[in-house]
Amino acid sequence: MANPSVANAPTSPIEADRDATRRHRAALLLVLGIAIVLPFVPPFTGQDYQRWLVGAALLAAMAVAFDFTAGYINVVNFGFAAFVGLGGYTSGLLAVDLGVSPWIGIFVGAALAGFVGLLTGMLTLRLRGIYAAVMAWFVGLAVMGLVRNLPDITRGSLGLNVPLLLDTSDNLPYYYVILGMLVVTLVVLTVVIRSYIGLAFRAIGQNLQAARASGINPTRYLVLNFALSSAFAGWLGGFYAHYYGILTPDVMLTSRTVEVLAVAYIGGRGSLWGPAVIAFPLSIAVELLRTQFANLPGLYLVLYGLLLIVVMIYRPGGVAAAARSVDEWIARRRRPEPVETPRAT
Amino acid sequence: MAILEISGVTKRFGGLTAVDNVTFSVEANEIFGLIGPNGAGKTTLLSCLAGDLRPNGGTVRLDGRDTTGLPADRMCRLGVGRTFQIPRPFPHMSVFDNVVVAAAFGDPKIQRDQVARRALDMIEYVEFPRPVTTLASHLNAAQLKRLDLARALASGPRLLLLDELAAGLTPGELTSIATLLRRIRGDGVTIVMVEHVMRLIMELCDRLSVLHYGELIAHGDAATVARDDLVREAYLGQSYIL
Repeated sequence: MANPSVANAPTSPIEADRDATRRHRAALLLVLGIAIVLPFVPPFTGQDYQRWLVGAALLAAMAVAFDFTAGYINVVNFGFAAFVGLGGYTSGLLAVDLGVSPWIGIFVGAALAGFVGLLTGMLTLRLRGIYAAVMAWFVGLAVMGLVRNLPDITRGSLGLNVPLLLDTSDNLPYYYVILGMLVVTLVVLTVVIRSYIGLAFRAIGQNLQAARASGINPTRYLVLNFALSSAFAGWLGGFYAHYYGILTPDVMLTSRTVEVLAVAYIGGRGSLWGPAVIAFPLSIAVELLRTQFANLPGLYLVLYGLLLIVVMIYRPGGVAAAARSVDEWIARRRRPEPVETPRAT
Repeated sequence: MAILEISGVTKRFGGLTAVDNVTFSVEANEIFGLIGPNGAGKTTLLSCLAGDLRPNGGTVRLDGRDTTGLPADRMCRLGVGRTFQIPRPFPHMSVFDNVVVAAAFGDPKIQRDQVARRALDMIEYVEFPRPVTTLASHLNAAQLKRLDLARALASGPRLLLLDELAAGLTPGELTSIATLLRRIRGDGVTIVMVEHVMRLIMELCDRLSVLHYGELIAHGDAATVARDDLVREAYLGQSYIL
């Protein structure tokens, strides 16, 4: 007997919704196109705006790397900013003390951050949810404490002056570098998520016991996830260091992590692209707030807070989930109604 | 030949001995029932067999090989599938993806291009009544039970541990589950089932063990055990005797 439930079944889990994937890819390429021409459109032609764009793209890439952990294996890495800082300091110190080119240094920084991420992953293995998050946070605080209290090496709170990545202080070339890094981060992590490794991540994040009962060794995947996410954090931290030219332990502050978290959650947990896209309007809005209300520092945190509350209440899946609903609506209008809509509540 | 031999298995939680020195063996291709009152330690024992819990004492042997204390993912890849008392799907995945996970990671011998086929086969095998693209969080209790069973079967187990698969099902569903379990056994899978629904137990099980306060109080073929006075007193109660 032919079972009706498998009539229009996908032939492979990864090709599950190839049609949706194609629409999705087209939409993302369009957004990338906009991001590429944006610096030539007023008011983004000004140096201030272009500096904001660099910051936006950097925040976007960090939010993608953050979502890779929080959105899939469901562990919030509260020490995220420390891995960014670790990569930055590694690359910065290599350049300052040993004259290593920043182009090489940022990869060394990524490797070291990835290694510390791997160790952190091993530390948090036996812990669930909030405990794992707190453990990652403590690792982050410990790293920041080290950087602050080793002034002989890091110059501590005085700040470390770091050579720039490019021979110019014009923002436009930096913007294209970081945009490229954002694309690499998004593509690499998306490829991992779409693979069987990503399937294991999602299984572990949604139900650890069932994942184990299905033959998944959680240790291997948790550690791999932490290492990869941290390596990208460190890599982006290297860009941060060689773009701003100065590093202080403040890059590792928890409030930096929270900023990345806010963008990741508003953009949509477990989507990768949602955080990447939403980071641009969000951080431009934040910069505008900062300049308009210079006498009210920290107002942007209120904006993040409000947006987070709205997202949590109305769209827990963030902007990505909202976009997906729109996409499904379009798809339904093109295709005849399915026999049954899985919307029963 | 015995596929599963457990001897002296003990599990303590602090001062409470949930499973106390339990010994029995399960023959290949039989349906073995594990019954007992609530809190008797049935689920705990099953978890010790599946690797979710590590016993404090005793040994668990699978096909003669000592597997005591191996983690659940190893046990799964060694051919032990299990379902849960309260089904535990991956809530934000489709029915299909739920089963794909077990097919892809639970069977070390499967080829990658066979995974989707195996998942669909198992979904069909358990006669899953809704589209495979349905999100697991949208399923009702009976559908979740079937999904859990499909997931457990997708890893290609030789031994299937079922924890109250029939609890809360309607009489109609019960009949269909009984048919399904017979078919699974017919395909060469050994079944150990923890169950409260006596109708299903008496209908399916070749042999029974009765747990009471963590101890094995009776053991043998189903009809004999059901007549045992100790068992009646401890578990079945007056109504079943009448």
